[in-house]
Amino acid sequence: MKLHIIRSISWLFITIVSVTLSTSCLAYDLENMVQSYTLDNGLKVLIVERHFSPTVAFYIRYNVGAVNESSNYTGTAHFLEHMLFKGTQTIGTTNYREEAKILKKIHNVIETLDTEKMKGENADLQKVDVYTRELAQLRKRADTFVIENEIDRLYTENGGADLNASTGYDLTSYHVSLPSNKIELWARIESDRMNNPVFRSFFSERNVVIEERRQTVESKPPRKLMEQFLATAFTLHPYRRPILGWKSEMPFLNLTYMRHFFKIYHSPNNTVIAVVGDVSPPDVMKIIIRYFGGIAPQEIPPSHIPVEPPQQGERRIELVADSNPEIMIGYHKPTLPSSDDYAFDIIDIILSKGRTSRLYTKLINVEELAASITTINGFPASRYPNLFLLHAAPRYPHTAKEVEQSIYEEIERLKREAVSARELKKAKTQLKADFIRGLKSNSGLASMLSYFEAIAGDYHYITDHIKTVEKITTADIMEVAKKYLIAENRTVAILVQKQ
Amino acid sequence: MKRSPLLYAIALIAFTLTIGCAPSPLVRPEGIHYPPLRFSTPTVERVELANGIVLFVLEDHELPLINITAVVRTGSVYDPVGKEGLADMTASVMRTGGTVHMTGDEIDEALDYMAATISVSAGRESATVTLSVMKQDIDMGLKVFSDILINPIFDEDKLRIAKELKIEALRRVYDNPQTMAFREFTRLFYRGNPRGRLDSVRSVTNIARVDMARFHRQFFFPANIMMAVTGDITKDEAVAKITGRFGTWATIGSVETIPPPAKHDSPSLNYLHKDVPQSIIILGNLGPGKKDPDYYTFEILDFIIGSGGFRSRIFDEVRSARGLAYSAGSFYAPRPAYGVFGAYAFTKTASTAESLSVIRSILEDVKISAIGNENLHWAKKSIDSAFIFSFTSPSQIALQRLMLEYNGLPEDFLKTYRPMIQQVSPDDLQRVAQKYLLQECETTLVVGNAQHFDRPLSEFGVVNEVKGHD
Repeated sequence: MKLHIIRSISWLFITIVSVTLSTSCLAYDLENMVQSYTLDNGLKVLIVERHFSPTVAFYIRYNVGAVNESSNYTGTAHFLEHMLFKGTQTIGTTNYREEAKILKKIHNVIETLDTEKMKGENADLQKVDVYTRELAQLRKRADTFVIENEIDRLYTENGGADLNASTGYDLTSYHVSLPSNKIELWARIESDRMNNPVFRSFFSERNVVIEERRQTVESKPPRKLMEQFLATAFTLHPYRRPILGWKSEMPFLNLTYMRHFFKIYHSPNNTVIAVVGDVSPPDVMKIIIRYFGGIAPQEIPPSHIPVEPPQQGERRIELVADSNPEIMIGYHKPTLPSSDDYAFDIIDIILSKGRTSRLYTKLINVEELAASITTINGFPASRYPNLFLLHAAPRYPHTAKEVEQSIYEEIERLKREAVSARELKKAKTQLKADFIRGLKSNSGLASMLSYFEAIAGDYHYITDHIKTVEKITTADIMEVAKKYLIAENRTVAILVQKQ
Repeated sequence: MKRSPLLYAIALIAFTLTIGCAPSPLVRPEGIHYPPLRFSTPTVERVELANGIVLFVLEDHELPLINITAVVRTGSVYDPVGKEGLADMTASVMRTGGTVHMTGDEIDEALDYMAATISVSAGRESATVTLSVMKQDIDMGLKVFSDILINPIFDEDKLRIAKELKIEALRRVYDNPQTMAFREFTRLFYRGNPRGRLDSVRSVTNIARVDMARFHRQFFFPANIMMAVTGDITKDEAVAKITGRFGTWATIGSVETIPPPAKHDSPSLNYLHKDVPQSIIILGNLGPGKKDPDYYTFEILDFIIGSGGFRSRIFDEVRSARGLAYSAGSFYAPRPAYGVFGAYAFTKTASTAESLSVIRSILEDVKISAIGNENLHWAKKSIDSAFIFSFTSPSQIALQRLMLEYNGLPEDFLKTYRPMIQQVSPDDLQRVAQKYLLQECETTLVVGNAQHFDRPLSEFGVVNEVKGHD
């Protein structure tokens, strides 16, 4: 009976959509390309039909990231992203009922062991030894039930491409592209891990994320500089923490906390899905409703994320390491949808995008002081007020100091003289071209749509952005530069080469 | 958005599901029925101009963009002894150093103003010049693109800047242990072959403007260039516009063929000291080329060993089971006449020897014990299902077609690829593993701090200590 009702409603649904679609054929008229739906449990779905190849790109964006972690638990969001590849109650196990009993014991032992190890020098080594051996025994028993990497296996053998996930400060994202006849496989796996994940192999995976930190931060002084820079520029807001977690906290990443974190934030009402490719939206929605529709929404508590107090004076740090010099300069600024943020998008292009940009010309071609210069508007993320970042590598024998002075001259010029009409037009043309190039691949479009739907609350931000930027004037740019690009509002971090 | 009636329908369905019925038991992923996948790849048009330039055109009118990729038969493998880096520097200064018609700065301004990009880059065995331009600017874009290819003048000022930047980049290689390790591995792997001669501060310093002009004359001539044109342009327009810009170009250069690297006769185990908390382990040897009948078998072998995602053996054992690394796996880069196979892991200093021996035993294992049918079936199914992703965009399809001809491979190479993969048997895998893996000729490099390794590297053979700098 129920099934019958569902089927008939679905047919109705198909009829309506086919009428809607006939009007949406303009090549890059994004607003008419996107079909947008919200399920009853709050899950947001955006679909774009494109038939060049029989493939489809999927993006799932959870509105949660490192900023949502309680202090002392840094790295949880990212570690959770790893753990969501470990399977579910029906994927990755030969007998979940039996496995669950051992997993429970394992998790108890890990927490006891961690508690002992946290005592540092005062830890009872005998106890540590006993727990470690007990853990090894239990892990061996649990392993008899585990089918390792089953999610990856299923995607891989069904033609999954670019299978990946990423954790940021604001968002956690899961991405895969599949042949377009495999939509149901994606829904089966993703809804199951949204609803019933099993955090198996917790202990060895914790070592993997510690290796990830060793590979990407501990072995690379420029990344350490970035970490120190953020911890200096932000004194209170969680953008000051490393996404991977602090080195001293990672060995104690905690399962009980992770479960709690998962339950609240990985709920359908906190999630955006984008599907772009060779699909029929009604068919996709039928599958999505069948698999995701029954997942219960969660009440998401207010975030209590501390507000960064205004900076009232320059902050400077140095990192001495066996690595060539670099310099990072950051200015606090508002984020989208503030109109000042749009002006910074233009400043970003004028300063460093392309070989004719001001800083590229000055630092690399004219003064020959630097090997590279990049700027980023919206560092390290965009949900909360962030930084305008300038990042340069001096060219030997020139110093970070010389590069810094030269950058300031260009920043002062922004406040003193209006940018030319030609320069402004060039920047706007580049923004538009970037937008069009961003539409080229299915995954690029799925990424962009889901990102702005999650961060700005509406994917229309993308098209509105183009229109709003068009209105930015040279006076706006000068005003914003005067307001934010000042010494009291900046943080400077310099990588100094160890002699 | 015209979405309200839709939304209503959806909400109703969801409501029925959540309230009306208990969640039905989940279907096993293996039990999902998939509709058949139908596809036909669009045909790329091939046109040969009178002067020998070969064009591959595929129209795509979805976005107002046009892309051109020119591939030139050259590369760093042709760098003269003592002037290593010449191919790369020539490419770089072709882009920045101006032409007989425009200065480098004028070119930069013209491109940025149109939000167009031109890139020139040299690899080991080819160079690539690309243009990406909005449809309305195609004439100006093509004018600059052709001028850079035909008439570069290598302005001395821009040459000096390019050299300085190159030297700085070389200084900075050693800041990133992973970049450094793969660079040094290349040098060791190709020892005794032109491919193993890498650029250095000294060799770059030796490069003069006249070298670049000569290099350009030798390799950048019509019969040595193929172009893929895709985007919002018809085939006839594309041919007419390109003929208009390149048709009168009639120089002739000369390109000798460099033989493939020869097999080494002894293993080479190398250690490079760097005080980092994580070691980088890379070992590799020559594999079959794309023209070799063993190519298909080796694709599967590499997939099973370490490039087939989380389930491949190195990843599964080194990362998932033992938690020893974040990055671990294998790679196989087949060229027409030879291939490069390698396995790698980045692991904490105290598990360096353990990781190296795990990788070696995985390679040893595929030589002595047969890979089961189940494993083989999984690899075949995976490779077959993913095949469609070789045809996702017009530029990818056109460039692929170009590269087949560039590499002297048959036009039906991709058509026969899937059946050839299906024919591989467990016996083939073992035979090919025995032929290529862990021979007495493999090259191993470990970068790290040997003082704190779990066991000495000498357990694996005679250790040769190398220095990162020239």
